[in-house]
Amino acid sequence: MALLELDGLTRRFGGIVAVDDVTMHVEAGEVRAVIGPNGAGKSTLFHLITGVVKPSSGSVRFAGEMLTGMPPQSICQRGISRTFQLTALFPEMTARENVRLAAQARHGRRWQPYGGGAVFGAAERMGDAALERLGLTHVAQRPAGLLSHGDQRLLEVAMALAQGPRLLLLDEPTQGLSVEETEQAVATLAGLLADGTMTVLLVEHDMEVVFRLARMITVLHRGAVIADGSPEMVRADAEVQRAYLGGLA
Amino acid sequence: MNGWLGLAVTAFALALAPAGLPPYAMTLLTEALILGLFAMSLDLMVGYTRLLSFGHAAAYGLGAYTAGNLLLHTSIPMVFAVLLAGLFSGIVAIGVAWVCTLASGVSFSMLTLAIAQLFYAVAFKWTPVTGASDGLAGIPRSPGPFGITFFTDKIGFYYLVLGCLCGAFIFCRSLVRSPFGAVLQGIRENEAKTRSLGFDTRHYKIAVVAISFALGGLAGALYAPFAGFTNTELLFWLFSGQVLIMVIVGGAGTLIGPIIGAAFFMLVSNLLSSWTDSWALFFGLIFICFVLFAPQGIWGLATRWFGRRRAPEVKGKRWRSLNWTG
Repeated sequence: MALLELDGLTRRFGGIVAVDDVTMHVEAGEVRAVIGPNGAGKSTLFHLITGVVKPSSGSVRFAGEMLTGMPPQSICQRGISRTFQLTALFPEMTARENVRLAAQARHGRRWQPYGGGAVFGAAERMGDAALERLGLTHVAQRPAGLLSHGDQRLLEVAMALAQGPRLLLLDEPTQGLSVEETEQAVATLAGLLADGTMTVLLVEHDMEVVFRLARMITVLHRGAVIADGSPEMVRADAEVQRAYLGGLA
Repeated sequence: MNGWLGLAVTAFALALAPAGLPPYAMTLLTEALILGLFAMSLDLMVGYTRLLSFGHAAAYGLGAYTAGNLLLHTSIPMVFAVLLAGLFSGIVAIGVAWVCTLASGVSFSMLTLAIAQLFYAVAFKWTPVTGASDGLAGIPRSPGPFGITFFTDKIGFYYLVLGCLCGAFIFCRSLVRSPFGAVLQGIRENEAKTRSLGFDTRHYKIAVVAISFALGGLAGALYAPFAGFTNTELLFWLFSGQVLIMVIVGGAGTLIGPIIGAAFFMLVSNLLSSWTDSWALFFGLIFICFVLFAPQGIWGLATRWFGRRRAPEVKGKRWRSLNWTG
């Protein structure tokens, strides 16, 4: 059984079909990229998985459990963490406080209105480990709003990681980064994913990044899946080349 | 200087105040502490959660009328009556917050204003309970329990107010430093992100409004036996605006700041009004200067002066409490 199963997932906005009958499986330990030209429905697909947008038809199953119709917080509490295409942080808190709050969200007493040494202690251990894995320990005490753009993108990944997710959704992790920053971020992410214990679904524009990080690729075009397979297969697929890659491959 | 030490010294000085101050000054100081408690309660919403309320007078009025009725029509001792009134205000606030948090940003603020004005209108019409435009008069400071009469005289009442303020301050301080408080600060800085991390932010917002109203209600409940009367002005939007000014001038998001802001507001409005009838105009100018040049408020300025805290300037975020859109 796959960890994440999308079955006949469809979402219409008025007359437009943003996501059209998408069936896709993500196995545990898999790093899968969803690619496609602008407007292919990648972001809507993420919104459908995280419950921000409700599907017109079809279903989302996670570890065998039906997620369709659940509010976003409940879906998140099942172990799905995400990053956003536009960096979303707590700018006045330090990097350490950012990851701490992210980890706190998974603690049973996250709402405790007094004291909190135990809750904060546990959250800090998770958070510090996540900062360490993304090489951000040296900026832990800086306010998140003052970090470089590249570090901000990685901090968002660290926040997702600090939650100990069973499925990590990354929405264009290198969006808006310079060539050098992208290089650095991809190296860090590749290191993170190398041991194959994380299950990741990745939306990305930059083909370079996709081919370096993902082991499986799903290609969306006008909301529908037009190809699904290993990077080599996708690269060779004629329809994909017409729709998206152009003369690149 | 250690924070707790400074606090203990201040509390000690306030406890000794009756020995050195003339009666009329004690009256002013008592009122300032009541307003300080009121402003501090609003700071939980405005300063820590960025829930900008234009209707916090609703909490004060609710507490004042509840305490007034309890003291006039029952024999419950004043000490318990004010606590019950605060509790009642907090419970009513759950309903108020449920409605207001259907919206966010400016719409939230407008809903708080609308609900406070609704309470104001009700107070004007519901004569048996609120005395309509006459208000409630002759509210006694009922003694007890166990025949304790200490709190009924001027000095004793001052200590009751001081005790409530100190207790509320310690409670709020612990609250904002707890895991719950961390979530509130997350909502302040980026509510959408806080929600996406898996926090049900609406529940947290309703909870903080309820706590804020309970403490604001306690302040109003203290005011009723302090002044001996209540009137509809306690529920009017002008008062909601004034308490918001106290919070901002004192320093939002600091708890201490709003208490200082309330004292500052009382002091300056007293001085100005003895000098000119259009004192509100001049206070308005002072307020504008604070917003433009010292958005961190009096306490923010003071802590910067003494270099007690780092205050990282985050780009484009000069004003964090009034910034609706984030």
